[in-house]
Amino acid sequence: MTRNEAHVADDLTALLDGALDPVRRAEVEGHLSACDACRAERDGIARALSAFAALPPPPPPPPGFEQRFYARLAREAPRRRSFLERLSAHPFRWLVPATGLAAALAVGIWVRQAGERADLEMARHLDLLENYVEVASLGVVETPEDLEVVAHLDELREGRP
Amino acid sequence: MAPDPDAALMVAFQGGDEAAFRALFEKHGRATMAFCQRFVKDSARAEELAQDVFLKLHQSADRYQPSARFTTFLYRIATNHCLNEVRRGEYQARPEIDPNAEDGAPLDPDALAGPGATPEEIAHGNALSRDVQAMLARLPETQRAAFVLARFEGLAYEEIAQVLGTTVPSVKSLVHRATVSAARALESWSGKGAEA
Repeated sequence: MTRNEAHVADDLTALLDGALDPVRRAEVEGHLSACDACRAERDGIARALSAFAALPPPPPPPPGFEQRFYARLAREAPRRRSFLERLSAHPFRWLVPATGLAAALAVGIWVRQAGERADLEMARHLDLLENYVEVASLGVVETPEDLEVVAHLDELREGRP
Repeated sequence: MAPDPDAALMVAFQGGDEAAFRALFEKHGRATMAFCQRFVKDSARAEELAQDVFLKLHQSADRYQPSARFTTFLYRIATNHCLNEVRRGEYQARPEIDPNAEDGAPLDPDALAGPGATPEEIAHGNALSRDVQAMLARLPETQRAAFVLARFEGLAYEEIAQVLGTTVPSVKSLVHRATVSAARALESWSGKGAEA
């Protein structure tokens, strides 16, 4: 039996759903024209699909559907907080100034000892490194926007634009 | 692919725009509850599940990639959540019956049948709904999900594959097997639609 002659039951739902590619559709329709059993199977599936069309739509939600959800959202969903808000609410937020001071001292000693031009060049970027060390230790750097805030943490602390 | 306005709302919400999230809920919340009812049928539980779905959406918004259709993302969350509910087994084959109704009719039959329906159409629709719900409860869970997405939500096989995280041939097989099971279970209803 060739593929064209084989029964096509497995493709009948896809045929009725219009989900067969044109080549397979032509093969299945060719088979159906000559096979009573597959035609009967197709007609049974088609009748069931018509029965589903008689189903009433699900009942609408009771009044106040949206309001009940918004009330639950207000209770259960945390407001999407900014990076600085997450930082200020962290239980170990006191580590920020302490770690920053320690890092600044370490950096200062290191810069003084090195004294080379290349290191001085690197030191120009140490404020960024220092800020990152401070906040990364708290595990609150999550997005690229957070890194942007890290880069400008000193300005934000001092209220500069 | 045409621009997806819901995707734009989701991106706005990712940027912190809560009004965009509310717009998405107001557009899709009721349909999500209807979808959940195909899995639990208890309308109070379906509403709770729909709320759960949108809370998850609120919490996992950062995972949404605008390259995917918003509804695909939403159906994925909703399907996983409803299947988890079905796995608990608590709601299988549990039609919503009004305990005060004499004939065991579903709650609020007017709402079920829609405006302008005759009493015969209401009775026909209610009885068919009960049989369909019982049939759905007997299907294996992935067949049930594929069937609901195809028959009631009108999704194409490709989109169902994305929602279920499987292949199109697999969806074709799931939908076919579920449809054949449904055709056999509802054989007595075949052709009755025009008579009612």
